[in-house]
Amino acid sequence: MFEEASEVFDNMFKSSFPLTFIVFIPAVLILVSPLPAEAAHEFTVYRMQQYDLQGQPYGTRNAILNTEARTVEAEVLSRRCVIMRLADFSYDKYQKALRQSAGAVVITLPKNMSAMPQDIVQQFMELEPEMLATETIVPVYFAMEDDELLSIYTQTLTSSSSQGSLSAAEVLLHTATANGFQMVTSGAQSKAVNDWAITSLEGRLAGVGGEDLPTIVIVSHYDSFGVAPWLSYGADSNGSGRTHAGYNLLFFVSGGGKFNYQGTKRWLEENLDHTDSSLLQDNVAFVLCLDTLGNGDSMHLHVSKPPKEGTPQYSLLKELETVVNSQYPEVKFSMVHKKINLADDMLAWEHERFGIRRLPAFTLSHLASHRLAERSSIMDSRPHVDVNKLSRNTKVVAEALARVIYNLTEKGAPGDLQIFTEQMQVQEEQLSAVVDWLTAQPRAAQLLDKDSSVVSTLEYHLGRYLKDVKRHYVKADKRDPEFVFYDQLKQTMNAYRVKPAIFDLLLAVCIAAYLGVMYLAILNFGVLYSVVRRITQPKAKVYFSVAV
Amino acid sequence: MTLFHFGNCFALAYFPYFITYKCSGLSEYNAFWRCVQAGATYLFVQLCKMLFLATFFPTWEGGAGVYDFVGEFMKSTVDLADLLGLHLVMSRNAGKGEYKIMVAAMGWATAELVMSRCLPLWVGARGIEFDWKYIQMSFDSNISLVHYIAMAAVVWMFTRYDLPKTFRLPVTVLLALCVYKSFLMELFVHVFILGSWTVLLVKAVLTGAISLCSLFLFVTLVHSN
Repeated sequence: MFEEASEVFDNMFKSSFPLTFIVFIPAVLILVSPLPAEAAHEFTVYRMQQYDLQGQPYGTRNAILNTEARTVEAEVLSRRCVIMRLADFSYDKYQKALRQSAGAVVITLPKNMSAMPQDIVQQFMELEPEMLATETIVPVYFAMEDDELLSIYTQTLTSSSSQGSLSAAEVLLHTATANGFQMVTSGAQSKAVNDWAITSLEGRLAGVGGEDLPTIVIVSHYDSFGVAPWLSYGADSNGSGRTHAGYNLLFFVSGGGKFNYQGTKRWLEENLDHTDSSLLQDNVAFVLCLDTLGNGDSMHLHVSKPPKEGTPQYSLLKELETVVNSQYPEVKFSMVHKKINLADDMLAWEHERFGIRRLPAFTLSHLASHRLAERSSIMDSRPHVDVNKLSRNTKVVAEALARVIYNLTEKGAPGDLQIFTEQMQVQEEQLSAVVDWLTAQPRAAQLLDKDSSVVSTLEYHLGRYLKDVKRHYVKADKRDPEFVFYDQLKQTMNAYRVKPAIFDLLLAVCIAAYLGVMYLAILNFGVLYSVVRRITQPKAKVYFSVAV
Repeated sequence: MTLFHFGNCFALAYFPYFITYKCSGLSEYNAFWRCVQAGATYLFVQLCKMLFLATFFPTWEGGAGVYDFVGEFMKSTVDLADLLGLHLVMSRNAGKGEYKIMVAAMGWATAELVMSRCLPLWVGARGIEFDWKYIQMSFDSNISLVHYIAMAAVVWMFTRYDLPKTFRLPVTVLLALCVYKSFLMELFVHVFILGSWTVLLVKAVLTGAISLCSLFLFVTLVHSN
């Protein structure tokens, strides 16, 4: 048959050009047409953090994934992609998957995070730093749950949990009916991003009397942090550390705050070591860092050294107490003392950066400890910020600052005197709009380059109230980088429906049987033919007799 | 899935053709070249049909989910060209009736198989995603082989000068059924909202009925004179 075929093709080429044309043009067209990308389900996944800080690797080190899906209930997890729902997530399960050398972990988050029970959210928030603390070789992804993904999860769950307790026949039937899923990411391997610039903003309000006046520095950082950068909206931490009052006032909005306050560090180095004259260099009254003020009924002033009586820091502490006690009695105010631990890799609070450089500094926050997970969680989203409380906290800070700056207590002003009234009131609507806008996009340091809208809008806002708004960029040193970020943080994942290899064999056997039956049927077509003939013959006779 | 799965689908789709070619005695008649010619005619006819459809039938612009009854009917009418094509192939071959029918049908069906099923199988069945539709497609190609043999037989009967007057009506009805079969199937699917396996079953039953009827007529006709 094949010799015949080649002969035929030879003839075709030689004799008839149009025929060649008809056969080959469509063939060529078909071959070059692009292949359609068909998948059971395509969804966006967000990768867990990956960064190096001071040479120490953190987070997941991998981005590529092409393995079959399982749930934790399955017996064998090695080289499988383990799917977990947030509701069922626990550190034990996570560790079990990693111990069994799973190929990847995908954690699905419900669309409506606020509907989740609080204890689960709390538990997950506590787990986030633990997941990041160690280096994970396999990729870890987060995905938003939808109906399709949920159905994939359920099907995987049934096939994962039922194995092992069935008879062989049941397993065979199961392979034919149940679906497996192959999870494939479309992106490339994650690479270190070179020359990533972290942007910080600075602006000042000069007091009357020139450069000799003492300076108050108000610092907050604008970047957010969470286990997955693309899911880090950081509403409370630190979208809520932003306020607006003869001391020189220096406002500084730093970047890279969640990465050991890189922005602040560089800014300090520049101002203290390189420049000749700077507000920071001489006569700083104190540095006030704002962090996480958007919720809660308590305020904590974190200090590394309790202030002595008679210093400006001490007066601020007193003023804060006065304002809180006389005007907002529902707020609990306290001072938390924690020494700077230089042996620790990560600094606890932003004021410690200043403390190291011997500037009197402290941080104001509603959190009692820097270890609380609220500061670095993907669960910290817009509903987490209570605008009323934020505005109240803003007022407290502003009133206290004003009282220190204008020395009101010594001048005999009563404790419940409200300075910011009427036009100087904190406008809640505006505040709420700013918080809304800040939390509308993920603000992880890896995602905010110098052209990002967050930075430029912040700059614009600062420009409206302050003078000399400047940008500072931090880039990691090329040879010995302090921080390295990695890309591929957001990817598209495909879930392909697949069947196990045994299914193919089963199918092959069935097809062989079918073809065998077909062969016999065609071989014995004569039987059918003669049967039909026997049936038709009498009729034919009748027909002929009628015709005759 | 895997190359193995593609092999499965391919075997399911092609082996019945191969078996038919070998067992029907066509290979002994050295009919391969004739089959290829029939296939080329198929291509030519499809090209003409496509040109015709593209020229005279603008794309249906009604809302999604609305079935364009008249439009689909007219499109199926264009399939009458298939009958002409089959007749053309058979009229160019000399020989016994069975031989002419088998050559035309085999060439025609194989060309369709190669042109419209080979590539989807190659691309789809080899991909990662598993879908039953490739197995269904392979079954469907088996059905269409039977369909074309029956159709060729009916065309052959229709074009005979010595067709008895009483045969004229059933043969014409069968011809119409052959041409409008795909249209009827679509209508079924649309009205009863059938699953893909049910559609395949209905198609098999319908094709089986048509072929059985044409076999009866053929046997009667051949052995009547």
